[in-house]
Amino acid sequence: MLKLQSNNRYRPLKIGDFVIILIFLSALFFIPRVEGKKVRVIVDKEKEFIYPLNEDRILKIEGKIGIIMIEIKDGRVRVIESTCPLKICMKMGWIKNKGEQIVCVPNRILICIEGEQFDAITE
Amino acid sequence: MQLQNRIAHISVFTAATVSLFVIESLIPRPVPGIRFGLANIFILLVLLNYGYKEALLVGILKSVIGSIVIGRLFTPSFLLSISGTIVSVTIMGIAVRYGRGLSLMGISILGAESHTITQVLIISVLFLGKASLSFLLPPFVLLSLVTGSITGISAYWLYTKLERKVEVA
Repeated sequence: MLKLQSNNRYRPLKIGDFVIILIFLSALFFIPRVEGKKVRVIVDKEKEFIYPLNEDRILKIEGKIGIIMIEIKDGRVRVIESTCPLKICMKMGWIKNKGEQIVCVPNRILICIEGEQFDAITE
Repeated sequence: MQLQNRIAHISVFTAATVSLFVIESLIPRPVPGIRFGLANIFILLVLLNYGYKEALLVGILKSVIGSIVIGRLFTPSFLLSISGTIVSVTIMGIAVRYGRGLSLMGISILGAESHTITQVLIISVLFLGKASLSFLLPPFVLLSLVTGSITGISAYWLYTKLERKVEVA
């Protein structure tokens, strides 16, 4: 009986475990967000355009069903006008961090933000 | 327990720990610096069955003998291994002694996390001169959470098996 109790002492998923797991899960909030350097626009998997993020400009790109207007300003990107029916790409708003994307499915347009060619580890 | 018995038991555990350490070093890994820490299973068992001093001994022996076997004695990675082991065994010892609400899983997670954090701090301070690797800390902490849980559950499973065997014998 005594042995059994000592077994239970270390049985996984006691209350303290959850506290510890929660504490270390909070590291999720500290994952660094890397600001992007370039924006890559891919149209229908064929045409690719790359623009630097630090120059403000407005792009007009022809997609599958119409023209899409993309604004680059202050290191951020958004879609300001599109001919697609649901306007989901416009509702995505601004993106600026590496890895973020805006997709316009009817126009077959993918806008993604990329960092430098090398990252901090190889640097 | 008799002294000879104790020495024999600790030796067996040391051998098991070193074997796991060496076997694990043979597994190819995509990113350097990420290990399961399977050797921690046996260090945990020593900690529970014998005590803190013995666990520390097994941990240091693991780093020294294991590094000799895989040919990394007195390299930076040996320094990282031994310092991480000492800190994590100490933290786990405190957790076993005072952590009433902790199971083996929680203790193992604490050990894995302290091992990881010590290593990242040492790399930052000793080899790079400033704390420039701190951006690596969050992903490593999350990974250690997973590996620590796996190690802890395995250690608990082995612990119950071993205890039953000892009772029968």
